[in-house]
Order: sequence, then structure tokens, then C-alpha cells
Amino acid sequence: MRLLPRLIGFLVAAFIAAPLLIVVPMSFSTAPSLEFPPPGYWLGYYAAYFSDERWTQPTINSLIIAFGTMLLTMLLVTPATFAVVRHRFLGRGIANLMLTMPMAMPHIVLAIGYYSYLGDLRLTQTHIGVIIAHTALSVPVAFLILSANLKGFDRNLERAAMSLGATPLRTFWHVTLPVLRPGFAISALFAFIQSFDETVVALFISGRESETLPRKMFESIRMQADPVISVVSTLLFAAVVLAILMPVLWKAVQSRRSRSGSGSAARGNGPAITGTAPSDTNPCAPARVQLEA
Amino acid sequence: MIPTALRGASKPWLLLLPLALFLCTFFLVPLGQVAMMSVTEPEPGFGNYAHLAGDALYLQVFLNTFLTAFGVAVGCLLLGYPLAYLMAQSSPRVAALLMLLVTMSFWTSFLVRTYAWMVLLGNNGPLTALLGFLGWDPPPHLLFTRFSSTLAMVHILIPYMVMSLYSVMKRIDPALLRAAESLGAKPWGVFRQVYLPLSAPGMVNGATLVFMICLGFYVTPVLLGSPQEQMVAGLIGTQIEEFLDFGQASAMAMVLLASTLIVLAVYHRRFGLDRLWG
Amino acid sequence: MSKDVEKAGDECAPQGWSRRSVIKAAAGTAGALAMPAIVRTARAAEVLYVNTWGGTWEKAAAKHLFEPFTRETGVEIRTVSPVSFAKLAAQVRTGVYEFDVTTLGGGDIVRANAAKIIDAVAGSPLGANGPWKDAVFENGVASHAFSTIIAYRTDRFPKGGPQTWADFWNRQDFPGSRCLQRYCARVLPLALLADGVPQDKLYPLDTERAFRALERIKPDLRVWWTQGQQSQQLLRDGEVDMVGIWHSRALELIDQGHPVGISWKQAEIDRAYWVVSKDTPRREIAWKFIQSAVQPERLAGFCREALYGPLNPAAFEFIPKEEADRMPTGPRNYPLAFEQNVEDFGGNLQKVTQRFEQWLAS
Repeated sequence: MRLLPRLIGFLVAAFIAAPLLIVVPMSFSTAPSLEFPPPGYWLGYYAAYFSDERWTQPTINSLIIAFGTMLLTMLLVTPATFAVVRHRFLGRGIANLMLTMPMAMPHIVLAIGYYSYLGDLRLTQTHIGVIIAHTALSVPVAFLILSANLKGFDRNLERAAMSLGATPLRTFWHVTLPVLRPGFAISALFAFIQSFDETVVALFISGRESETLPRKMFESIRMQADPVISVVSTLLFAAVVLAILMPVLWKAVQSRRSRSGSGSAARGNGPAITGTAPSDTNPCAPARVQLEA
Repeated sequence: MIPTALRGASKPWLLLLPLALFLCTFFLVPLGQVAMMSVTEPEPGFGNYAHLAGDALYLQVFLNTFLTAFGVAVGCLLLGYPLAYLMAQSSPRVAALLMLLVTMSFWTSFLVRTYAWMVLLGNNGPLTALLGFLGWDPPPHLLFTRFSSTLAMVHILIPYMVMSLYSVMKRIDPALLRAAESLGAKPWGVFRQVYLPLSAPGMVNGATLVFMICLGFYVTPVLLGSPQEQMVAGLIGTQIEEFLDFGQASAMAMVLLASTLIVLAVYHRRFGLDRLWG
Repeated sequence: MSKDVEKAGDECAPQGWSRRSVIKAAAGTAGALAMPAIVRTARAAEVLYVNTWGGTWEKAAAKHLFEPFTRETGVEIRTVSPVSFAKLAAQVRTGVYEFDVTTLGGGDIVRANAAKIIDAVAGSPLGANGPWKDAVFENGVASHAFSTIIAYRTDRFPKGGPQTWADFWNRQDFPGSRCLQRYCARVLPLALLADGVPQDKLYPLDTERAFRALERIKPDLRVWWTQGQQSQQLLRDGEVDMVGIWHSRALELIDQGHPVGISWKQAEIDRAYWVVSKDTPRREIAWKFIQSAVQPERLAGFCREALYGPLNPAAFEFIPKEEADRMPTGPRNYPLAFEQNVEDFGGNLQKVTQRFEQWLAS
């Protein structure tokens, strides 16, 4: 490979990395506003973030809402995915389309709809209102990830379990669920993040009592570029780094352990089932479907 | 409920019902309400649409939105291609590291990245300082321009492009390239005549995704852009926040929605939607 | 149970099964599901929500207006930002209240009163005429005066910055980027002054001429501020070289040691009025708060700290003379200034605002 294209590639990588990295030193800066390089370093804005209810409350709200969205999404999407993937029925195509449709909507369009509709229902400014809106937005991502996993699922495993006398319920709990666990986990994680990062709809419908973190950040950037934003940004970035590195580290630990001894085989239901899990799904690949602006 | 599915029960609709009800109540109805408001507020009729079509300003904002989205898609393609190419050609370790970077950027909140660009492009930021150091006196203001919002949007959306491209590129069989070389093609010729056409589906996918997301972009243009070059979503926001003009805002939203759906439909006819979400 | 739910139930009966009533009935169920919100409301029964401008404004208000009121009545005051006229209108329309009390400037109060989104003073404990002569205007209670003045970076204009609005519009002698508030009622008079209209002939405004004048500096208007703190940040970071800014915000920057100069010439005085959001469930407390907030001593404390000019004349007893020089209505600055004439604006503010927004975007 030639040098020039390589160089350009690495420059683009630097272009991607620079903005992510700059928020870290900014968060320790003593400057009252946007100034780089920082004139000095301290932890004052971290203290400000953790001690100010106007920042911690939206953080808590966002966590509650994201968790609620995740639960509701998975409760609704799981049976629906089984229906769409495993059955042929009239209207299946329409169901498929409808489950992915919220993804193609510009969020501002839905924001107007929710602002007026949830207002009529007296659900603006409540956690439940935001959870409902976010669930509608999270359904497609969760559905696509889960259905991709379900399609790759080897149904012979279920048949084997049932032929050995397991009831359908037992089969689901002991065979289907463990095998699909990574798919469920990634699906739920995406629903969580979709909600946690969603800005536009929350901007319009989350009020005083249910203000989310992105809304608080947006208002804060618009109002005064408050340096506390750099603290929040750093914390969010650190969470992302952790979330991404954790599976990598986990895998490394696991492979080292399995090389040093076969302890894992004794614990699980046997290597046959875990082996068929579509756990090597690239966590980034389904990420492409997330449409938020 | 789920175990019945295992038996292959004949009632898939029952499994689908909760979600279908939910989406009807909390997705289709609100969406329908937007459509309704566009023709009922403040009075019944197509006045809002007539107003949209008759006012040069709105046309300009829509045009501006399309041009910006196009520019961002081209920008993502120009920058994303070399990176995806590098990833596809590098050792697995380097490729994984680069993918890690792209993924991190992807998962980091839009707001964080928008804020970061405010720091980078600000009057006391490193880029202004660099331009000043290079002898540009006084250094230009970078924030609140078309440049700043476009650059930030390219940065925010480039992961979509890189992932689209990479997933196609890594499936390109190296043997094809070697075959072309052994037939005497020069490296540039191999790239242009073999590699580029083979990676075209990734380019189309990525560009469509980026274009579509960019059409409805709200946060970044509002925070970083210039008031003279607003995009549709920002203008819709103003109509609501400043004037509570739900009718006009809804009409604009419907046009925006229609534009997005047209892009999707064109893509669907040519390539099939399943590929896009893949 | 929450009041909202009860109310929704009441409203169902007389309307029959219209779309709205069905929706509202559904809200009953939904409301029951929204338990956490209800629990919160119950716990915080004695809370008043005040819409504030943040920054210095909020600090001064908290110390001199909110805390004394809480000590006196036990009612906790929580603040909501940013100030938004549309939100005030929206909450009356939807019945979901984000705040109960806010302050409006002269232009907006006329607009708000016409739109019937603020509570009538007549039925309040203050009485129809309020605590002093001229205290009540368009159902708002006069609180303090503030002004829009010229501020500039002294490092960009070492030989002296723009002193009048004509200077502000003079791109040859004062090159650099400019910034104004994204609010036409305050900006259009400035454009006319810059264009040579005498101060006493401003109203009713010649909006056409004002827009033509604005057009002249449009290339330099890179950004428009909407919130007080934003105007400070833009000037402090040097994003703009000169700005039409509220005097208190500019003085604060100077006090913090930033290279900022100001001119009091042609300062544009506006008045802020306390208003209560119409039909808010906390109406009684809201008026009680306003009553306490315009008491001479508290108002004086607030104005001294936030550098505003009190509109309750009795408040001047508590203000030293030298501090009055930093107020727009003080004896030194008032002769240089002019007052907004909101009653004789010269057009429908809503329509002109639409036009202004369009002009901005074009």
C-alpha cells in the first residue's frame, strides 16, 4: 500500500479523535469559558457538577428514563421479533416496515407531534411521557438487532431440547434465552443509549420535572457555554470508552483463562450451546442504524 | 407468551399486538396529528403550504438544507474513504484499533462532539491560534459560520460512512486485485477500475444515510451555524419556540418528512431498504 | 391524586365524546401510571416556580427576593431557565405549568396581555392599582428598569470604541464583528437611531427604514444573542468585538477585569414587570411572592446587587447615591438614555417579529 493514502487515512483518524480528546483537558481547566490550551488546571468544575442539583437531577432523570425506555422497549420488541422472524402471516411486510419506520423520521417532526399530543394527554414534563416517546424511537434499533440475532439462531437446539422432553418454557429459559443473551444485551444497550443521548424530542417534551441531561447540556451550551459541560462531556466520553473496552478486556481475560485450563466448560451447560451463540456480532455494525439528529 | 412462539403457534398477531398497539398510539397518532395540524391550524385548508411555497425565504432554507446535506455527504465520503481503505488494507490489529476509534466517536453524544467543536473553533481555541501563528492577522472567526456547522456535522456523521464503506471493502476479494495487477494494470488503474466500482455500494449506502440524517439535523446547526444559513429543522424549532405557530411548523415538518421518505424510496427502488439498515 | 388528573376528569363531562375528551380520559389512566411525578408533586406542595434569566440576575434575586420570601412563608422557590415568552403561552394552552411567575419586558407584556396569557392584577391581593402610583401596567407589576447599551472589546478598539448607535453602525471607523439581541422590539429602535432619527421622534417606529438600516451591518452580525449570559460569553471570549448588551451584564464583565468598555449614550431603557401565568394552580402564592418582591427594601437590595433601576420610588431610600450612577435610571445616566414606548410601537409586534426572523434567516 502506498504511503500517501495511508497518511491521509491516519489524518482522518486524527480528525475523528481530536474533538473527542479535547474535552478531557477542558474539563480540568480553570478558564471560565472556552479557552484552549487551558490557563491552569483544577477540579473545581467537577465539584460544581457533582454538587449542583441542576446538573445531578437531569443526570438522574436521564438514567431513569433510559432505564425505563430499555425495559419497555424490550418488553414490547421481544415477542414482536419472534412473531416477525418465525412466522409467515398476512401483514408481515407491513409489520416489518412499521417496526423500522420511526428510525427514518427526522426527530424534529416527531418532536412537534409529541409536544402537542403528549400535551393533550398531560404527559409532557413527566418521566413516563419521555419514556413513551423514547421507546417509540428505540423500537427499530432493538428490533433490527434482535431479529438479526434470532435469524442466526439454530432452531435445532430447541428441537433437541424438546425431543429430550423439555417443556417449551424450560426450553426457552434454558436454551433459547442463554444462546440469545448477547443479542438481548446489545439490543437493550442500544435502547438505553438511544434514550440517554436523545436530544431533540426531549428538548420539546421534557420539562422542569423530567429534564434530561442532553436537554440541560443543550440549553447550557446555548446560554453560556458553561464549563461544566466539559465535565459532563468527559464523563460521558469515559463511559463510552469503558463500555467499549470492557468486552475487549473481558474477552482477553476469558481467552487467557480458557488457555490456562478448561474451567469454563465445567460451569456452563457445555461448550456446544455457547459455541453457537452469535456472540461475535460486531457491536458497531448494528450501530449504523441509529438515526438521531 | 414467548414459549408459545416456540411451538410455532398460529397466533403471531398476538405476539405482535402489544407493540403494534403501542406504535399506533404513540407513533402513528402523533405523526398523524402533525399532518392534521398542518392543514387545520390556524384554520382549515392548505394555507400553510401555500405560504411555504409562496415565500422565497422558505424555499431558500429548504435549498440550503439540501445543499448542506449534500455537502456533508460529500465531505464524509472524501474523508471517510481513505480511512475505510486504510482499515481494509491494514493488519487486523491496526484495523481493530481504528474501528475502536470510529466506534468511540459514534457512541459519544452529539452534544459532546458539538461542544468540542465550539472549543476547537472558538476565538480562543487552538485552530484560531494556529491560523494567527501562521500569519493570518487578525485570524478569522470560525464559529457561527456555514464552515463550522458543516465541519462539525461531517465529524459527527463520518462514523456512519466509514462503517458502511468498511463493511463493503473488507468483503472485496484481494485475489481480484492481484489478478488485475498480474494482467499489467498499474496500482492506480487497479484501484480505479476494480476497487472503486466494487466499493461503490458502500459509498451509496453511506452517502444515503448521511444525507438523510443531515436533512433533519437540529442540534449542531442551531448551536454552531450562522443565523443566515439555517436549516429546516432549526426553522421549525423557531416556529414553535418563538411563535407557537404549530400550523406552519407542521407544514414544514411534513415537507421535511416527505423529502426524507423520497430519498428512502429512491434508495429502496434501486437497492432495497434491507441493505441500508444492515 | 394530582390536580391535573382531577381536572381532566371534570372537563370530560360537559364536552361529550370529542377527540379531546377521549384523550383526556385516557390521561386519567396515564396519570395514574405517572406515579413518580405525582409523588413528587405531593412532596413539594409548597413550591413556587420562577422563570429567571440566570447569572447575576438569579444570584441577586435568590439573595434578596427568594430567600426572604421562603423564610417568611415556608414556600420553597425553584427556578426555571431560560426565559421564554413562547413557553409562557404554551403552558396556558396545554395546562402543564413549567413556571408560575416570570418577568416580561415592555414589548412582551403588551403582547402577553393581549393574548390573555397572564393573570389579572385586579383579582390579586395587590388590588387593581397596586402598591404605588403607576405600579401596574397591562396586568404586570413594575419591578426594575434595565437598559441595552453598547459594549466593546477595549483590546480591539484601544483608541476608544463606538459611543453611539451611529458609531455601532459605522463599519468603516469601527470594523469588527457585531452582535445584537435576537429581539426586534429592542433592535429596531436602535437601527433607527443609527440611521439618524432623533430620539424623541422614534415612535411609532418606521419599521421599513429600520430593516434597511439593519441591512447595512448584516455582514458583521455573525451571531445574535438570546440569553443574557450568552451575550457575556460572546464578548468575553472575543467572539464578537461589539455588542448591544444589557448594562448589568456589561458592568459585571468590567468588574471581573475583562477588557470591556461601555457607552451610556443612547442607552435604551426597558422596564421589567412581574407577571403570573394565567390559571396556574399556584396563583395565590405567586401573587404573594410578587407583593413581597416589590417591597422597597427587598427591591432595593435586588437592584443594588444586579445593578438595575428600581421602579418603586420608595426603594431609592435604600440606595446610596454613588451606586445610582451605575443604574440606567440614576441621575447621571438617565438624561443620556431614552425609554421604550411600547404602547406606540408602530405595528403588530407578533407580525414584525415574524418579519424580523425571516430577515435574519435570509
